This record gives sequence, C-alpha cells and structure tokens, in this order.
Amino acid sequence: MNYLPSDYLPILIQLGLALAFIVGTMLVTHSIGPKRNSKLKDEAFECGIESQGDARTPISIKYFLVAILFVLFDVEVIFMYPWAVNFIKLGSDGFIEMILFMGLLLAGFYYIIRKGVLEWEK
Amino acid sequence: MLPIVLLSILGLVVLFLGFQKSKNLLLPATLLVLAIVLVANFLHWNDMPSLYFKNMLFENKFTMAFSGIVIFSAFLIVALTRGFVDDESAQPAEYYTLMLFSLVGAVMMIGFENLIMLFVGIEILSVSMFILTGSDKKNLRSNEAALKYFLMGAFATGIMLFGMALLYGATGSFNLTAIKGYVMANNAPSAMLYVGLLMLLIGMLFKVSAAPFHFWTPDVYDGAPTIFTTYMSTIVKTAGFAAIYRLLSGSFSGIYSFWWMTLAVITVLTLLAGNITAVYQTSFKRMMAYSSISHAGYLLLSLTALTNQSQSAIVFYSLAYSIATISAFGVLMLVAKETGVHSYENAERFEAFNGLGKKNPLLAFVLTVSMLSLAGIPLTAGFWGKFFVFSSAADRGLTWMLVIAILMSTVGIYYYFKAIIAAYMREGELSAIKVSPFYRLILIATTIITLVFGLMPDFLKGLV
Amino acid sequence: MIPHLLSFLTFHPLVGSVVIALLPNSQKEAFKWIAVFFCACQVVVSAVVYYFFSTQTADFQMVEKADWITLSMGSLGTVSIDFILGVDGISLPLIMLSSVVMMVGVFSSFSIAKREKAYYSLYLLLTTSIMGCFLALDFFLFFLFFEFMLLPMYFLIGLWGGPRREYASIKFFLYTLVGSLLILIVMIGLYISVIDPYESELAKTMVHTFDLRLMTDGRNYLPDSILTPSGEITLLGVPSRMLAFWLLFIGFAIKLPIVPLHTWLPDAHVEAPTPVSVVLAGVLLKIGGYGLLRIAYPIFPDAAAEYAFTLAILGVISIVYGGFNALAQNDLKKMIAYSSVSHMGFVVLGIASLTAEGLNGAVYQMVSHGILSSLLFLLVGVLYDRTHNRLIDNYRGLISYMPLYTIITGITFFASLGLPGFSGFIGELFTLMGGFQSDRLPVWLTALGTLGIILAAAYFLWTFQRMFFGKPWAKNPTELPFLSDLNRLEKWMLIPLVLMSFALGIFPGWLFSLSDKTVSHLLKIFE
Repeated sequence: MNYLPSDYLPILIQLGLALAFIVGTMLVTHSIGPKRNSKLKDEAFECGIESQGDARTPISIKYFLVAILFVLFDVEVIFMYPWAVNFIKLGSDGFIEMILFMGLLLAGFYYIIRKGVLEWEK
Repeated sequence: MLPIVLLSILGLVVLFLGFQKSKNLLLPATLLVLAIVLVANFLHWNDMPSLYFKNMLFENKFTMAFSGIVIFSAFLIVALTRGFVDDESAQPAEYYTLMLFSLVGAVMMIGFENLIMLFVGIEILSVSMFILTGSDKKNLRSNEAALKYFLMGAFATGIMLFGMALLYGATGSFNLTAIKGYVMANNAPSAMLYVGLLMLLIGMLFKVSAAPFHFWTPDVYDGAPTIFTTYMSTIVKTAGFAAIYRLLSGSFSGIYSFWWMTLAVITVLTLLAGNITAVYQTSFKRMMAYSSISHAGYLLLSLTALTNQSQSAIVFYSLAYSIATISAFGVLMLVAKETGVHSYENAERFEAFNGLGKKNPLLAFVLTVSMLSLAGIPLTAGFWGKFFVFSSAADRGLTWMLVIAILMSTVGIYYYFKAIIAAYMREGELSAIKVSPFYRLILIATTIITLVFGLMPDFLKGLV
Repeated sequence: MIPHLLSFLTFHPLVGSVVIALLPNSQKEAFKWIAVFFCACQVVVSAVVYYFFSTQTADFQMVEKADWITLSMGSLGTVSIDFILGVDGISLPLIMLSSVVMMVGVFSSFSIAKREKAYYSLYLLLTTSIMGCFLALDFFLFFLFFEFMLLPMYFLIGLWGGPRREYASIKFFLYTLVGSLLILIVMIGLYISVIDPYESELAKTMVHTFDLRLMTDGRNYLPDSILTPSGEITLLGVPSRMLAFWLLFIGFAIKLPIVPLHTWLPDAHVEAPTPVSVVLAGVLLKIGGYGLLRIAYPIFPDAAAEYAFTLAILGVISIVYGGFNALAQNDLKKMIAYSSVSHMGFVVLGIASLTAEGLNGAVYQMVSHGILSSLLFLLVGVLYDRTHNRLIDNYRGLISYMPLYTIITGITFFASLGLPGFSGFIGELFTLMGGFQSDRLPVWLTALGTLGIILAAAYFLWTFQRMFFGKPWAKNPTELPFLSDLNRLEKWMLIPLVLMSFALGIFPGWLFSLSDKTVSHLLKIFE
C-alpha cells in the first residue's frame, strides 16, 4: 500500500493542535491569573522547613556511577526478552551466543567489583 | 575475522592483568597480544575473499592490508608508551585495554559489509577515543578536548545514523551488495538515497576530519595526551578512510556522477584549510593536527578519483602517513618530556626542537626523515604515497584538483621544514636525551621502513 | 670499456659521504682529505669517460640499464621505472665541468670551521646527486636526483651560511621545489601516455615507462592519451602538450634562473658560504639548461618550435635585466649573482634559436659560465675570508695590497665580459650567432641581446676600477692589515681555472666537437 505525503496530514494537524493546546493554556493561565508577591507570602507557612542554601548542591560521584551501571546492566534485559521468546527457534547457536554475551557481561561485573566501584565507604 | 575475536578476548585478559600488583607485565603483554593479532590477521592472506558472521563482515586482501596497517601502527604506538602512561595517576591496564578494544572497532570499520556493522565499529572506536582523549584527568585542556570530541562526535554519529536510516528506507537493506544492486537496477534512485548517502558521508568525513567538518581536530589533538593524539591521527584516520572507500566503491560507484563533485569540493576545501592554517601554527602538535587534515585531503583526492588504483594508493598512503606520524610524535614525546621539566608552555612548540641536531643526532635524523616523508620528498615512503594518489587523480582526469594538491604540497613543505630548521639551525639548550634501547629501536624501525618503502615501493604495492 | 663506469662515477662519492658520517667527530683533518680524494677520483673517472667517449655518434654511450621498480597500476597496466644511465655530447661537457668545479669547491671548503663532518658528508652527497642528474636517462631517476639535490644544498646554505641563511635557504628550497613539482605533473602525464613497445610485447600488457629515449619518439604514445603527439587533447582550453611544455620550462627556468623567477638566486648566493656559491653558480644552474636540452626540447619539439620567440624574449629580458641589476649592486656577491642571471640568459637565447650554432653555443656558454662564475665567487671568497666584508664601496686601490689577486680578478672580469681569447667570448658569440641566423627569431631581438655584453663590460670594469685602482683605502682601516695576497692554496684553486677558461677560448673546437653530433641529431626533429 502506498501512502502519499497528504495522507499524513491528520497526524500533522493532531501535532499542531497538541502543541497549540499546551502553549495556549500556558499563556492563558499566566496572563489571567492574579499575581501578588510579598516576602511574607513566599515564606514557608505553618508546616515546611526554612529553606537553607542553594538547591544545587554537589552530589557524590558515586551516585552517578551506580546510576550508569544500573542502566548498563538493565539494558541487557532488552536482549533477553526477544531471545527468550525465540529460544526454541534459535536453538543451540542462540544459546551459545547468549552464554557468550552473559559471559562478557559477567566479566564486566567482575571488573567492577574488583575495582571497588560498588563499595560505598572507601 | 580472527583479529576481532582475538582482540576482544585478549583485551579482557589485559584488563584483568591490571589487577596484578606489578604493572610491569602490562606493556609486554599488550605488545604480545598485538603481535599475535597481527599474525592472525594475515593467516588467510591467500584465501578467496569471503563473508563472515552472517554476511556482516567482509574479508579480502584490501581489508587485511588495512587491518594490518592499523594493528601494526597500534603496535608501534603502544611500544612508545613506556614512561608516558604508567605514572601514578594513570591506569595503564585500562588504557591498553581501551586501545585494544578500539582496534576491534577499527577492524570492523575496515571490513564492514553491513551498515550496522559500520555503525557499531565507529561507535566502539569513537567511545574508546573519547575516554583516551580525556585520560590526562588533571589537565584542563585534556578534559576540554574530551568533552568537545564527545559532543561533536555524538552529533556526527546522529547525522550518520539518520543517513543510514534513509538509505535503508530507499533501498530496503543495510547490506552493501544489496544497496549496490538497488543503485545499479534503478536509473533514477529516489531522493532519499541521495540525502542518505550525503548524510552518511558527512558523518564519516567528520571522523576523518575533512573540511568543513574539521574544527574539532586541532583542539582535540592538541589537548589529548600526545600518545593518544598519535593514536587518533593514525588509526582513526586509516580506518575511517578504509570505511569510506568500501562504502563508495562497494555500493555507490554506480552513481559516481552524483557524489564526485561534492567530494571534490570537500577535498579541495580540506587541502586548503589544512595546509594554509598549518602554516600559521606555533605549536608543533597543533601543526601536526592541521597536517593530518591536509593528509586527509590527499587521501580524499584518491577517493574522489576512485579508479582501480585508488585502493592500493590509499593503502600505501595510509601506511606511509601513519609510520611518519608515529615517528614524529615519538620524537616530540621525548623532547616534550625533557623540555617540559623547565617550562610546560614551550614543551610542544617548534622551539622545543631547538638545538636537537647537536646533542641528539639520532632523534634529529628520525624527525627529519619523518618530516620529509610527510612533505613528500622523494626517496621516502611519503613521496610514493603522493605519487600514487596523484597518478590516480591524473588517470581520472581531475587536472584542476591535481594542480591544487600539488601547490598545497609545496605549502606543506614550508611548515614541515620549520621543525627541521628548529632542529638543525637554531641554538637551544637541549641536553642529550636518554632514550631507552627499546624506544630507540622503534624509532629506528619506523625510519628504516620509511626509507625502504621510499626506495622500493613495489615491495608493498605489489602485494595489494 | 669498463663496465658500470657511469654508476661508479655517480655513486662513489656516496661511499665517501657514508665514510665521513661514520668517522668520529675528532677526525677533522681526515674529513677534508677524504672529500678531496673522492672528488679527485671523480675528476679522474670523468676523464676516463671522456677517453672512451666517441664523438662519431649522436647516440647515448656507455648506457647502463637495470630494472628498478615495477608497479602494477590496475587498468593502466604496469609502470616500469628503470635505472638508466648514459652519456652523450650534451652531458659529457657538463660532467667534466661539474667534476672540476666540485674539486675546486672542496679546496675552497677548507675554510669551513664548524661541523666539518656534516659539511663534507653533505657535500659529497650533493656531488652524487649532481652527477646522477646529468647522467640519468630515466625521467624518474632524473627527477629523483633533481629533487634530492635540494636537500644537501638546503642544509649547506642553511647551516653554514650568512646571517639571513634561514630565509635564503627556505626560499631557495621552496622556489626550486615548486619547479620540480611542476616537472612532476608533466612526468605523471608522460608516463601515463608513453608505453615501452618492446616490453609491452613481452609482458602482454601495457608497460608504461619513464625512459627518456622512448618519450622522444611519437610512436610510443598511446593514441588517446593525455599528451599524445596529435595534440588534440586540451586542458583548461590549452592544448595539453603546450601546457606540459610550459610547466617543464617553468620548472627548469626557476633553476636556470630566468627573470622573473630568479629572485631566490641573489639571496641564496649572498648567504651561502663561498664553496656553496661556487657549486651553486658553477653547476646547479646548469641543470636548468641541461633539463631544457635533455627533456623539454626533445619531448615537446612542437611546443618548443612554436614558442621559440617567447622563450627568446624571456632570455633577452634575463640578459638585459640581469645586466642592469648587476650594475646597481654594491654587494660584490649580488653583483656576480645578477651577472649569472644575465649570462644564463644567453643560454636560453641560444637554445630558443634552434640552430646548430645556438645550441652548441648554449652548451659552450654553460661550461664557460661554470668555470668563470666559480672563479668569480672564489675571488669574492678570498676577500671575504680576509675581512668578512664584500661591499664594493668599502675598498679602493686594493692593487697595492694584493697585486696577484688584482691580476687574476682582472683576467677573470675580462674573461667574463667576453674578451676574445677567453671562453666567455665564444659562448656569447655563438649563442648570438644562433639568434641572428634563426628564422624563428627577429633580428632586433638578438640585437637587443648584445646589449648584455655592453652591460657586462660596464659593471665589471666599473667594479674593477672602483675596487682596485686609486689610492689604497678601506672604509674600516682596521681591515687593511688583513689584506694579504693570495696564499698557496688559493693560487692552486684559481690559476688552473683561469688557464682552463683561456684554453677553451683558444681551442673552442674541442668542446664543439663533443657536442656537435648530439646537437645536430636533436635539431633533426625540428626540421
């Protein structure tokens, strides 16, 4: 089946409408809402803690390391799903390939542990 | 495809060797790995061209020759690392491993048969290079270089990927042969194919730093530790050109009339930008960065011609260029280490070579030969590289480009001679530099290779 | 006949160069004498070549041929680069000239007092490449020697030269290199066009060749190739053969040098040490003229004939412009450098005339200028060694301090300005005769060329009068005590050269008998 560029027009209209709605509501709420700022009003009221310092504080690099390692080892699952679904069809070749893949991953995991990346206090 | 397998496995072994207390074993182990891989690469030399991994990779004499150049260059560069990456803050095991892994990428780029493989290869190579560029962690310029390289590289990769997607859309395949079939079968391929090809080319030309995609090169080459600058300017470039050649000759020779003008303009721009800017540099390292751009121009000239000599011309040129670059940077590293003790600012400028000829005749000679080879003076390998490139351009009838290239190679001589002038004609307080016997051996070897290929080019040219 | 005589002539100085490079630095005396030995050896060998040379034939003699590089170039077929050496009537006089000049240059080098090892090593390397250049019959081999000559020369000027040596040496290098790259373009075009019929038959493919002898024969060109003699192919709107000829001409004209491509020469001469100046003026400039006679003219006779007038104009401009410039110089070396430009203009005029007189005269003029300019630079060196000063204005009445020096300078000046009885006269006479006789050149043009002789008389005599006559005086009186007359070594260098110029002036037939057959053979293709 052939699509002409004009067949995509509804999608374009949809996109335009969505954008227009977002931009429109943002503009409208900003313009019609009342704005009265005072020092008293901006303070924490009743509950809440007095704000101290800057919101942008340095965070230990270890967070990032753990985060990135999580991503790395999490993504592997993407490969596991299709493999698991087609396990029978792929046969022993597929099994060996997956073992290889897991082996490489485990080597990386071993490396991380030996490097002491996962030890928080060091 | 033994090199890819061996490099991946043995790379891991080197990585785990790093857990040993003593780091002394790392360098010999890495060299041993590279030697094994180099031998393994040529095991199938006499076999017929063949496809591997479900038609993902291709192997013939051309790809083997290129892999050989890349691995051999890596061997020489690794051999020169002693004393440069094994100080306290550095992590030699990781660096060596990254080098080995990046070679995997390079070999994939050289032998790709499927665009996906090209992408994977480029990414493996590039990601390793991003890290190695920033490996001088305490040096702000190294960090800046790594970040610049990463951002620009990622952008270029994006464009390239887009291009591949468009090509897939146009032809319905990632396979080079299938794409070639489509190009041959359709007299008027869709516009998508053209746009896709251009975007793919832009991404790859970025990697080999062709103008106008070269602006990252000087900063990155300058900021990176010299040893990795050497690595980048030889291996990345060689692999990149092999990939472009395979792409153009493997799939798109049928629509030569479409892309040749684009490539011609880029070639001329690269030649002009590289050579003319190099004249104004005061830093030797930066000059070498621009010189690498200009050499990309000469290689592109041969690609633009795309005659059946281009293949061996590119092989020869890459080898001559890589060897000369390695020995030039080898001398620079020694000298910069010596002068860097007194003033870091001057360590990589031309002045660093002042008085080299008096106290260190060997180093001065090695530097001179490598500069002459880069400049393309006869009796060096570089001359023959230029000769073959020019011949292929003349064969295609690209006279006006030939004239520009020849004029630019005269300009080149001016800045290469600046280093020779500094080494022999300027007074300097450089004392005799201690060179370890092994280091000396490597420098002598590169010099001899340059001269032998200068005298007997048929020795190599006949092989491919 | 001795086998491999020409190879020996070319490469034995290389042995000396390596020996010197391997000796320890302390053997300063040994370096000199090794260099003297090898240069003397070269004189002897070139005399042997002369002995075996037959003046009865126009062919190349003592030809040596060996396969060197064979490259497979895909669809082009194969390319064969051979090692071919040979000598004929044009190269023989220049070989003898250069062996003599190199010999004298070594003696003059005795005053070099720093880095002797590198100096003599490079000097012998230069000797090899010069000889190779004159003897090579393969275009590629010629190009190799031509290009390789630059490196030792570059270092000889750049390391042992005067205060502005860096500028002068890189200028020399870049100028000549541009020239040789232009030659390279033509060389690539030629080898793509020319095939070796005999080898091609044997190998059953097209064997492209660099053999200069094959390039002169139009039958060896591929019909559709870029430089095919039918001349139908045009590049950038110009017939490709005309373009190729001009590229070659510019390449050699830079070396010769022809106005306006001459500006490197005064700089290089002023900065170069005396022996290097001697070699530069005495031998290196001749390679430009030799290249025209050996390569540009035989391979592109059609273009050479068509542009004879333009080339002659360039020659005459060089003669006159060089003469006027020499008149204006205050630096003795610059004056001589410009006189070289003027004298080499005669060579171009002679070659452009395309007559037997003109071409023989051009060869003669090259030899004569080689001897005389060497003498002139040696004489400047004598003065410069004593005072480190060579401005004409700084001296008066040198005759009372240095009588013998004055006499020899006088003779040399007169010989250079074309006094009958010396070689300069014959060279200029024959090139001008060629110009007058040629039906390709108008008479007024050659008549204008004679102005060069008048100008030469003016600047040589005026200089002589200013420096040597009058009351003894020097701008810096402290120099006066150093103005001693010639020592023994200097006499030994100068007097033989003066005698040679004299002998050539008295017996010009000897040199003409060498070149005549070859020249008339060359002229046949222009009829």
